Amino acid sequence: MHNELKITDMQTLESNKKTTEESSNPISLNLPDFTTDTYKDAYSRINAIVIEGEQEAHDNYISIATLIPNELEELTKLARMEMKHKKGFTACGRNLGVVADMEFAKKFFSKLHGNFQVALERGNLTTCLLIQAILIEAFAISAYNVYIRVADPFAKKITEGVVKDEYLHLNYGQEWLKENLSTCKEELMVANKVNLPLIKKMLDEVADDASVLAMDREELMEEFMIAYQDTLMEIGLDNREIARMAMAAIV
Amino acid sequence: MFGLIGHSTSFEDAKRKASMLGFDHIADGDLDVWCTAPPQLVENVEVKSATGISIEGSYIDSCFVPEMLSRFKTARRKVLNAMELAQKKGINITALGGFTSIIFENFNLLQHKQIRNTSLEWERFTTGNTHTAWVICKQLEINAPRIGIDLKKATVAVIGATGDIGSAVCRWLINKTGISELLMVARQQEPLALLQKELDGGTVTSLNEALPKADIVVWVASMPKTIEIDTDNLKKPCLMIDGGYPKNLDEKFQGENIHVLKGGIVEFFNDIGWNMMELAEMQNPQREMFACFAEAMILEFEKCHTNFSWGRNNISLEKMEFIGAASLKHGFSAIGLDKQPNVLTV
Repeated sequence: MHNELKITDMQTLESNKKTTEESSNPISLNLPDFTTDTYKDAYSRINAIVIEGEQEAHDNYISIATLIPNELEELTKLARMEMKHKKGFTACGRNLGVVADMEFAKKFFSKLHGNFQVALERGNLTTCLLIQAILIEAFAISAYNVYIRVADPFAKKITEGVVKDEYLHLNYGQEWLKENLSTCKEELMVANKVNLPLIKKMLDEVADDASVLAMDREELMEEFMIAYQDTLMEIGLDNREIARMAMAAIV
Repeated sequence: MFGLIGHSTSFEDAKRKASMLGFDHIADGDLDVWCTAPPQLVENVEVKSATGISIEGSYIDSCFVPEMLSRFKTARRKVLNAMELAQKKGINITALGGFTSIIFENFNLLQHKQIRNTSLEWERFTTGNTHTAWVICKQLEINAPRIGIDLKKATVAVIGATGDIGSAVCRWLINKTGISELLMVARQQEPLALLQKELDGGTVTSLNEALPKADIVVWVASMPKTIEIDTDNLKKPCLMIDGGYPKNLDEKFQGENIHVLKGGIVEFFNDIGWNMMELAEMQNPQREMFACFAEAMILEFEKCHTNFSWGRNNISLEKMEFIGAASLKHGFSAIGLDKQPNVLTV
C-alpha cells in the first residue's frame, strides 16, 4: 500500500469536500422562502410565542414592581418597552400575512406562567426574577439572535432593535440578584432546578417549527446556554455553581 | 492580558477533563450536549518573563472536539463563540490553538465579524503561526547536527509546503540555513509553483519521491490514519519534525535511526502555575506549550497588541526574526530530541 502513497490521500480539513462546499456559502445566502405555506404555518406559532412572550414579560415586570415598589419607575419603563416589542413582532406577522396562533402560545407559556404566579403570590422575588429576567430573557435573546440571521428583511430590522433592549432587561435582573446574592442564592438554585427544565422542554417543543424558519435547535440551545451562563457569571456565581445549575438542563 | 483558545484532543478526553474541572453538566452529556455548550474560561494565570516582566492571561476552552469537524456549523460556532468570550473579557491578544486556527482559516470565518452584540476585533487575535514556524526551523537547525546530519549537505522535505507555516518554513530554510536541497510537497500544484517562483529555489515533488531522498522531513500537513510508510525506504539517520496537528507522526515512523521530534513546542524557563497544559498532554506541562500559545504571551510581554500572525502567507523573515528574538529574550526555547523519551535511536 505504501507504494501508492500520495499527498492527495491526506484527508485534512481542506480536502473535506462537503465542508469546503458548505463553507463557501455564507449563511445569509441560505435564507428560507418566506412565502410558502409551510413557512407561514410554522411562523403562525413562532410569531405567537414571541408576541405572547413580550406580553407576559410586560405583565411580569409590572407584577415584580409590586414586590419592590421603589423600583416601580424602572420596571414600568421596562414593561413599556416590552409592549413596544410586542407591537413590532405583531407587525412582522402582519407583514408576512400570518395570523398568530395565540391559543397555542398561551398554552406554550402556561407552566412557566403558573410558576411565576405562585412565586408572586408567595412574595418570592428571587424566583420571579429568575423566571422573567434570566430564563425568559435568555430564551428570548437566544431565539432573536438566531432569528436575525435567517429573518426576512423587515423582521430582521425589528428584531435587531429588540435585541438591543433585551440586553438591558437581562442586566436589570442581574444587578438585583448580584446585590442580594448572599441572601437569595439558595432560592435561586431551587427555582432554577424547577424552571430550567421547562425552558428546555419549551425549546424542544418549538424545534420543528423553528427549523422550518431555518433556526437550528442546536444553535438555539447553545445561544441560550451562553446568555444563561453569562448572566449567572455576572451575578457572581462561580464555574462549579453554574455547572451545577446548568445540569438541570440536561436531565 | 493574553488569551489562549484551546480544545481537547478527543471527545472522551474532553469529558474526562470536564469532570476533573467540575463541569459536570457537560461531563455527563453526549456529543449533542457538547455541541450546545458555551466556551469556558477555565483558568487565569500570571506569567513572569526571564526579563522580570509579569503578565496575566486566561485559558479558554472552546468546547470544540475533533469529533465535531464534520459538523461545519457547530465547529464554526465553537471558534467564534470562544473568540467573542476572549474579547468580552478584555483580552488584548489571544492565540487560536489546535484546530481553532485551522477552522478559522479554512471555513473563512473572517466574514463573521458580528457575534451577537460583539463586533470581533481581529487585531486581538493571532494564529501564532509565525512563532510556530520559527520554532520548527530552530528545532531543525539545532537537532539535525546532533544526530549526525550536516545541514550544508542535507536534503529537507517540507510536506504541506504551501500552508501558512509550511511556506514560512520553506522561506526560512532557503534564505537562512544553507541547506543543500529543499523538496516541496503539497496537494495543490498551483500555489506550489507560485511559492517556487517566490523563493527562486526548491524542487516541487511528490511525497513518494521526497521521502527516500530526505535527511529531514518537516510535516506541517496532518497525517491520515490510513497512511502506511515503509521506513526501510527512509534515509538513516533521518529527522522527522511533526509540526502538524494533531501530533501523531511517532505512531507512523518507528525504526532505527529515525528520530521523531514534536514540532512547534516550546519550553519556558520556569514553572508556570497552571493546569492547562496538562490538559494538552505536554510532557512537562508546567513548562511546555504550543508555540502558537507562546506567541500570545510574547506579544503581551512586548506590548505588541496586534494580530501578528494573520491570514495566509504573510509570514516574512523579518517577522520570524522579531518573534524569535523576543521568544528567547523572555525565556522560551524550542524543545529538542533529548526531551523525547519515546524517540527510537538504536
